[in-house]
Amino acid sequence: MRYEDVELGDDLPETEPDVSMARVLQFCGSAKMNFPRFNDHEAARKEGLPGAIVPGIMSQGLLASMIHHWAPGARIVKLDTVFRTPIVVDTHPRCVGAITDTDDEQRRVEVDLTIMNDAGNTSVLGTALVELD
Amino acid sequence: MANAESNVDNNVEGQNVEGQNADGQNAEGPSAEGPSAEGPVDIDAVKRDWVGHKFDSTQFRVHGDRMLAWAEACGETDPRFTDADHPDFQAHPTYTAQFGAKQLFPKGFPKLGRGGFDAGKAVEVHQPVHAGETLTGESEIHDIYTKTGRSGTMIFIVHRMTFSNEAGEPVSTVDWRIMRSAKD
Amino acid sequence: MILDLHTHSVRSDDGRAKVENYCQWIRKKELPLDGFVLTEHRQFDDTSDYRELEDRYGLVILKASEVETDYGHVLVFGVNDDLRAAFDFARIDNSLPVVLESARRCGAVAAPCHPGRVNVGLFAHYEQKGPVEGVEMVEVCNGGSRSGEDELSAREAEHFGYKGFGGSDSHIVSRVGNCATQFDRDIHSIDDLVAALRDGHFEARTWRTPRAT
Repeated sequence: MRYEDVELGDDLPETEPDVSMARVLQFCGSAKMNFPRFNDHEAARKEGLPGAIVPGIMSQGLLASMIHHWAPGARIVKLDTVFRTPIVVDTHPRCVGAITDTDDEQRRVEVDLTIMNDAGNTSVLGTALVELD
Repeated sequence: MANAESNVDNNVEGQNVEGQNADGQNAEGPSAEGPSAEGPVDIDAVKRDWVGHKFDSTQFRVHGDRMLAWAEACGETDPRFTDADHPDFQAHPTYTAQFGAKQLFPKGFPKLGRGGFDAGKAVEVHQPVHAGETLTGESEIHDIYTKTGRSGTMIFIVHRMTFSNEAGEPVSTVDWRIMRSAKD
Repeated sequence: MILDLHTHSVRSDDGRAKVENYCQWIRKKELPLDGFVLTEHRQFDDTSDYRELEDRYGLVILKASEVETDYGHVLVFGVNDDLRAAFDFARIDNSLPVVLESARRCGAVAAPCHPGRVNVGLFAHYEQKGPVEGVEMVEVCNGGSRSGEDELSAREAEHFGYKGFGGSDSHIVSRVGNCATQFDRDIHSIDDLVAALRDGHFEARTWRTPRAT
């Protein structure tokens, strides 16, 4: 995907990331954050959560992966996310994105990002600034 | 100033900064924060006194195997992040968001609200991070504000960490919005 | 005329949208919007001037505020110096009766937004504290609502006899216009909007898609 291929208003291909317990355990191992709210549904419920939740910084990583999937080789300059509601482990969230601005001089695009939970409600929203070849 | 060897291979003494929130370690347990404020807290005064206050410098080592596990767990397919033999092998762009300072708040910072949740992070990437590097993260309080939402009355404290590599070049800036519940 | 009565820009602490990007998006996507109102959190933006953008994109861009009260969040249209002196826009615990009375006295309109939302919606507080005099209209279509919230808003609005309007509550560009308000007249200024709201000739509209919730 080159800058010339992108237009304001384009949608990124939607992704359905794997947030199974196995994947979340893998992430938590990489980030050394093995806490019950992330790896134990029952323990998370005792904390008042709907179940084990995906770490916020993992949701950021899922969005970054969506951008790279759309544009391999792209360079993410900034990624800014607001965590609205938890994403529960072993559910089926969807990541979507759309191009909201383009900068011809810097060959950069701005992207709106959203992760929606199973109920279609917004769990994470944010923006990214991405540099393309 | 942190010893150059301290916290290498660890994220805040082995705990991830989100883990601090998850355990409520800094919210309810032993904390660098000062005593609870008597009566309603003047957020504007706290903001005047603490925003811009630099209070921590911590070092973190970047491990290639963890970089790979992180990228794979995030569903990454770009070989820059998934292939250790790639000539441009680097950490996933928001990788430094996991690193936390030794203290969530500066010594003497008033205890605002209770509990703590990660309300979001902004990561600005200045240059790629590579396996084997040791990064230095310097912390400051960047902003403080209150608002109400579905969760009730909340106090937001923005902890900014600026990371640089061994050459002193900035590699990323991470703003972490920590949400605490105001005492009603 | 269709206006999105509830949007946020980077001026709001959780807003990530630049105003020009809203304009570009509306035109590129050919949204059925004639303009939008910026309702920044806990402030009134009296420095930004969007007239050049209005001319360039052929859109109406008005400025208002979203303030916080003891009965939830409230949109305030027609902010002026008198109103800004009447209560502190930055507070999170303003008295709703004070906000409503001040708006009326200063020639503005104050209308609760997302009234079906927990903690920050009017009707959640009505359950505990009873109704408040002076409410005439509420936002029955909010683009950021979760399942059931707008349904509750519409049901309770009808029960209390409140008129309903719509707004996207957009904090990012691509959410603008997924809910809006249709008026039976042209609106080109904040005074026009205040008059139209007072007259009550409007209805909420929604274009939400599964991706835009």
